[in-house]
Amino acid sequence: MSIDFYWRLPTHGCHESLRHSAYDRGDWSPVKAGNVAPGLNRNGEDDGYRYIDHLAEIAKAAEASGFIGGLIPSFPNTDDPWVISPLLARETKSFRFMIAFQPGFLNPVQAARMSATLQRATGGRTVFNIITGGGGPSQLWWGDSFAHDDRYGRTTEFLDVFKGVWREQGFDYKGRFYQVENGGLAPLLAAEEIPEIWFSGSSEAALQSAAKHADYYLSWLEPFDQLGDKFARVKERTAALGGEQKCAVRVDLVARATEEEAWHDIRAGFENVPEDTRRRLGGQATDSVGASRQAALRPSEVKRYDELIVAPNLWGGFNLLRGGPALGIVGSYEQCAARLDDLIARGADAFILAGTPHLEEAYRVGEEVLPLLGRRAEALLAAE
Amino acid sequence: MTIDIYWQLDTAAEPARGERSRHRRIASIAREVRTATQGRFDYYAQIAQGAAQTAFDGLFLPHREEADDSLIVAAALAREVQRLALVAQFPASVGSAVYAAKQAVSFQRATGNRLGWAISPDADIAARAGGADHVREEELGARAEEFLAVARGVHGESPFSFTGRHFEVQGGGFEVPLNRAAFPQVFFEGHEEDELDLSARLADVHLFRDTSFPVLRERIETLDAAAARHGRTVRFGLIQEIVARETGEEARAEARRANVSQHALVGDYAAVADELAARVALGISHIILIGSPSLTEVYRSGQHVLPRLRARLTETRQAA
Repeated sequence: MSIDFYWRLPTHGCHESLRHSAYDRGDWSPVKAGNVAPGLNRNGEDDGYRYIDHLAEIAKAAEASGFIGGLIPSFPNTDDPWVISPLLARETKSFRFMIAFQPGFLNPVQAARMSATLQRATGGRTVFNIITGGGGPSQLWWGDSFAHDDRYGRTTEFLDVFKGVWREQGFDYKGRFYQVENGGLAPLLAAEEIPEIWFSGSSEAALQSAAKHADYYLSWLEPFDQLGDKFARVKERTAALGGEQKCAVRVDLVARATEEEAWHDIRAGFENVPEDTRRRLGGQATDSVGASRQAALRPSEVKRYDELIVAPNLWGGFNLLRGGPALGIVGSYEQCAARLDDLIARGADAFILAGTPHLEEAYRVGEEVLPLLGRRAEALLAAE
Repeated sequence: MTIDIYWQLDTAAEPARGERSRHRRIASIAREVRTATQGRFDYYAQIAQGAAQTAFDGLFLPHREEADDSLIVAAALAREVQRLALVAQFPASVGSAVYAAKQAVSFQRATGNRLGWAISPDADIAARAGGADHVREEELGARAEEFLAVARGVHGESPFSFTGRHFEVQGGGFEVPLNRAAFPQVFFEGHEEDELDLSARLADVHLFRDTSFPVLRERIETLDAAAARHGRTVRFGLIQEIVARETGEEARAEARRANVSQHALVGDYAAVADELAARVALGISHIILIGSPSLTEVYRSGQHVLPRLRARLTETRQAA
């Protein structure tokens, strides 16, 4: 059994520590002394480095420390993964670029052209995290006005066309959203491998789409038994629909030499969160089922960091310290590895891990946690 | 007026060079050590370096349905050449205008505003149907217009809303820091009336190609007047094939051998530079040079034609 470990490229800036919420890496904060990419040079002027230079450092750290690649998220105020990936293609060696992407945003044939070209630029290092959830006002920001179930229908058709023109010359398609007559990628481009496709989304509409097109089903971390049940359900449901689904978990880690050190960082970070931020725990309105599942974990008011410990080494307050999901793993290197092993035993076939700061933590997790993996998973699997 | 000089990096040209699947096997007595990671993009990178090392201002990457995507190639080269502008050509059928603008802004932020957008002429109806593009012929101009209105809108305004026939946005618009990047310079091309009319309203730069000196002069005057009627100024560019050699005889022999366009500029280095300078005098401010093989000719043009052209332009300015 072989498990793929991805890291993450933070596309909305990064910070030097979870203890402080200010983004001091990247220009999402004002340029000042102590910031990087851009920062100030010895004369107090903008030093000319850009955030992409820092992302390049993170990608190189991830590939050097044993990660197979990294997720590149996409939101309205982030840099875009379709641009970041080719920008970093030639200065990385093995790093796979996992592009987070909403199918409605590109013409599917153009998306296939761009993907095949990126495959050629990278030697086949493109992966997709197809996103369909979200919805409401945030979709209209992107100029996309589809209702939820319609969007899964469109995702399915998008991938039908994306793969169809890649695999077949003279490709014809008559869908509700897309029609193609006598399509087909240029032979030079079609010779490339179709990128692996990762899917998210917990609704029935999502699972139907996943069964047809996804290689991996990606979930945020949930309480372990709940997640294990979800993976089992996904594998069962997609198998019934004629697909085969590997499962993956996206989770942040605070891994330290001792558990005490790890919780010390969490506590310091929690105590630096302003009270009004804590009150906003409910998050923003969205019709995403996955987001609702996470929201259910968040108590409306918490006074102490340890009220958010939902299970051993599981903390539900990460969204207070940085954007993204609430639940993450906190512990010693051994404990973090054991928790990942627990997840492998519950059906996880791959991971997207992350820690703050992303550059330094890529080395730490790669050097201290990844080598400890597998012991518990093997024992658990053997006991089954 | 600054003249920007670009080299055309054509992903469809010399299709075998650097292509792994088409490598000629070297003789079996020679040890083969090339790895799977070497490929076509290394050749693109060499052309880009060639242009950078010989003082070109940028690269122009034409849209080629049968070859690598220009936007991906431009991004893959951007960090290898720190100074060159990268003008990537693509059709207005790529998808969401908001998303195109978002990608452009990321490119600009990472490269110090070196991206240019060249909107390519729309493909014919069969090619469009093969590309999942079913906008009707008579709507293509409107689609291009809306594409740019939305892309420029989300870049320049927040909140931005737009309801058109092809694009719709509600509460859009980029925030700090994304909105600090410059919008890419927008290039259009064509010689037809409707193409000139579109450029009069939308283009920063209009590109002409493969035409005679008198036609070029006439088209520049037409577009200049049309743009003025819209209260705008459009700059003019020329995509120009050249065959420049040490002597005119050698150049003409090469032109005969390679069977170049009848409008290619063929001559010794000084003669080609003079012809280009004459077109600058007509109002051309963006020159995109084409030559083949690309790496050989980018060095030759950069080393021999560009210095002579720039010297001519300096003399002209001083005389004026």
